[in-house]
Amino acid sequence: MRALLHRLLEPMARRLDVRIVVVFLGLLGLVQLASFVTIRRSIDANAHAQIAVELRTGESVLRRLLAQNAQNLTEGARLLAADYGFRSAIASGDRPTILDALDNQGVRIGANVAVFTDARQQIVASTLADNAEQILPLVRANVSDDGAGANRTGVQILNGRPYQLVTVPVKAPQLIGHVSMGFALTAALVRDMEALSTLRLALVARPFDGAWTLLPIGERVASLSALARQVDAGGQSADLVINGEAYGSHLVRLGSDAKHEVAAVLMRSIDEAVAPYRQLQLTLLAIGLVGLGVFGIGSSITARRITGPIKQLSASAERLGAGDYSSAVSVRTRDEVNDLAEAFEQMRQSMQSRDAHIRRLAYWDQLTGLPNRAQLLDLLADHLKAARSSGLPCAVLMLDLDRFKHVNDILGHAFGDRVLRQIAVRLSDGVLREGDCVARLSGDEFAVCLPGADIDTARNVAQRLQHALEQPIQLDDHTIDVGAGVGVAISPTDGDDANVLLGRAEVAMYAAKARQSGIVVYKPNLDSGSAESLSLLSELRTAVDHDQLRLYLQPKIELATGLVLGGEALVRWQHPTRGLVAPMRFIPFAEQTGFIRVLTAWMIERCAARSGELRVQGLDLKFSINLSTRDLLDQELPLRMERLLAQGPTDPDRLCLEITESAIMDDPQRALQTLQRLHDMGLRLSIDDFGTGYSSLAYLKRLPLHELKIDKSFVMAMEKDRADLKIVRSTIDLAHNLGLSVVAEGVENAQAWALLKSMHCDEAQGFFMAKPMPELEFASWVENWVPPQTRLNTEFAEFS
Amino acid sequence: MNAVAAASAVLIACLSLGSVSAATLDVTLTGSDGKPLADAVVAVHVKGAKTTAAAGITAEIAQRSRQFQPQVTVVQTGTAVLFPNFDTVRHHVFSFSPIQRFEIKLYAGVPNAPLIFDKPGVATLGCNIHDRMLAFVAVVDTPFFAKSDAVGKLQIDLPAGKHRLLAWHPSMTESGAWVEQAVTVDASNGKLALKLPAAAMP
Repeated sequence: MRALLHRLLEPMARRLDVRIVVVFLGLLGLVQLASFVTIRRSIDANAHAQIAVELRTGESVLRRLLAQNAQNLTEGARLLAADYGFRSAIASGDRPTILDALDNQGVRIGANVAVFTDARQQIVASTLADNAEQILPLVRANVSDDGAGANRTGVQILNGRPYQLVTVPVKAPQLIGHVSMGFALTAALVRDMEALSTLRLALVARPFDGAWTLLPIGERVASLSALARQVDAGGQSADLVINGEAYGSHLVRLGSDAKHEVAAVLMRSIDEAVAPYRQLQLTLLAIGLVGLGVFGIGSSITARRITGPIKQLSASAERLGAGDYSSAVSVRTRDEVNDLAEAFEQMRQSMQSRDAHIRRLAYWDQLTGLPNRAQLLDLLADHLKAARSSGLPCAVLMLDLDRFKHVNDILGHAFGDRVLRQIAVRLSDGVLREGDCVARLSGDEFAVCLPGADIDTARNVAQRLQHALEQPIQLDDHTIDVGAGVGVAISPTDGDDANVLLGRAEVAMYAAKARQSGIVVYKPNLDSGSAESLSLLSELRTAVDHDQLRLYLQPKIELATGLVLGGEALVRWQHPTRGLVAPMRFIPFAEQTGFIRVLTAWMIERCAARSGELRVQGLDLKFSINLSTRDLLDQELPLRMERLLAQGPTDPDRLCLEITESAIMDDPQRALQTLQRLHDMGLRLSIDDFGTGYSSLAYLKRLPLHELKIDKSFVMAMEKDRADLKIVRSTIDLAHNLGLSVVAEGVENAQAWALLKSMHCDEAQGFFMAKPMPELEFASWVENWVPPQTRLNTEFAEFS
Repeated sequence: MNAVAAASAVLIACLSLGSVSAATLDVTLTGSDGKPLADAVVAVHVKGAKTTAAAGITAEIAQRSRQFQPQVTVVQTGTAVLFPNFDTVRHHVFSFSPIQRFEIKLYAGVPNAPLIFDKPGVATLGCNIHDRMLAFVAVVDTPFFAKSDAVGKLQIDLPAGKHRLLAWHPSMTESGAWVEQAVTVDASNGKLALKLPAAAMP
């Protein structure tokens, strides 16, 4: 229960306005409570002091009243004592007359008792018929007191009841006796007393050393019955409670005789005395409550005025925190909070503009105005999420421009940027479907997100994109041919994470570029990052050490003589569990990871060693080794070659390094330097896959080459395609004119052999002669080699 | 004036006794406190003397300045006493004393008839109008009496011999018993000091 209350109150207590109101109300309440308590104490003290004063005054009044009664009584008695007839009756000893006179005068002045005593203080006549003798001591006391002394009020006790008894002398002219008149203290006294003051009066009596008892006077016996006991307990002044009403009391001793004591109890109602103050207090209380209410409302309004804008500001700050910069801070007050609000508003505006700027920077490519990688990833993530729920596929295309680096290097970056803008326009204009999105990822990389596209759609779009890029770009005086390798990855087959999917599209794209086959759809074996490739890679690292690599050689034959001149070195991996692993399975990612350098080094070493061994057997053969882009850019390669050749396993001119056009064109300057150094060492250099790249002849002529290898696609197609045939022939002529030897790859039949021979191609390589074979078999193959006897078909007569 | 009358009465009485040799009794009276007692009354009973005054003997108790004058008067039984009023206000002289109860209702001047005090004893006189007026009339049945002066002395001329002496003072009250004493008087021995159970009147 307490915990619940605490939980309910805790949030309240944290609110600023509540705290302000509580503090102010609390303080005011304390002040009011303090003043209320003080006033109440003061009132009580005052009331008690006033009651004490009233009671003392009451005593005076009572005594005065009694004295007055005594005086009246005395006057009456004196009148009788001076009456000549009365005195005459006394002188004559006429008792009945005396008694009548006493009675008569007694009735006249309201006395209850009238007595005449003679000069010897013996009763002569008394209206108190029964126990006249009892009054005698009282009379004697009065006579001896001579009216001068202590008991001016003359209160005496007769039969335990209080009487006012006065005694006056009768002189004729000398003292002949005394007239005594007695007056019982009755309700009349109480009435008089209460008429004169605000006090109530009761009479009590007690025997000496006894308890007070109430004297039954008037009709109040019942209501005052509790009084005597309380007087007894309380003494001279005490607070009494009678019938539930509190009284201040004062005991006034009126008189005593040998046995009894009589006293009056004066009482003042405390409630009555306090009543006017109580009214005042109630008024004060009402004012206090109204004050508290007004104060509460006032402080609450004030606190709201303070906290209201603060709450609004807080809400604004929360909105800003949540990234909502659009709604203005609309707090308007006329105090410091307004400054704060204005500062907030300024902050919001600057945050809004900064956010927009950042967003632009973050999500848009500044150069082309296309979305950037981040936006594409976000978008792709959204589409993939939608795709997961809808079950539809989602494709991503990734493009990398061919030779863009070359454009940048030769024509400048500014020009390159203009080309990129043009390409951006081409990619976005009319090629894409509704809802597709093209983004520039970096440099010359673009990506397209194709929501809902399956593999056929994706291929279709990719082809259209390629088609759009096929048109040369006309800028200033330059005509730029651009092409692109396109990688395709499809969700969910190739992954349902945006980054993964994009990464796989990239892998496919690299594969496309490597094969120069235009469009490649991702397959796990493309990916050095795929699970199989990863394990292969880690195993490949140990393959060299564990001697799992095998050198294969494919013969190169001189067409004119049919002699075996050498072979192209190829690597195979004899995997302990997988068996023989094809080069396509590990070469691409060996290139990607740089492990290719180790492979290349191993190959060169093996070839040099084999070459040396075969020469010992009497076979003087040249071996060609492929260099990858990475090898070409490797500063260490020339040094390694120097160290190897210094060991002297073979002559440098027995080794030929084959380089593809694209490998050279990635960094032509460095390639040129490296090739120059290799050439200087006496190594032979060959350009591989000639005709598929885009190298310029102007550049090629600067290279220190010895050999040119025509790409096998032309060779394999030349029998059926005259254009290819012409290319082959032109290339042969071109090479010969540049002083280079020409090698044709992909010779698969006798007709190709005959054609090449008739076109004076220098060397041929292909399945027609031999497939690649283990190096150890090469020597015996050479021994058994018989050149083919071929005849050129008549249709090719013109090419002979 | 009354004293003169009284003295002459005594003289006449002595003369009437004739041959009996005369003596003077000097009495000095003191109160119980030993101080001289004024207005004390002494009467001496002489055997054979007349108890009643002769007719025509009067005494006078005047009312002057709302006082009885004199306050104490001694007369022989049968003396007629006059109450002349010299004040302008009226008085109502009364006595409730058993020897002579009377009242002379409001009057001015001299009442018509004098009042004869024919019983021995003391009468207390008052005035019903003025409570403080008080007078005493000591009535003795012997012609030998006197009242002490301011210093408590008095003289009585008496025949020599042994007599009975009675003395009284107002403070002994009307009903109080007179002090009685035998006294022997001759020419050589006429002095008496008498102490009364009384106190000087205020």
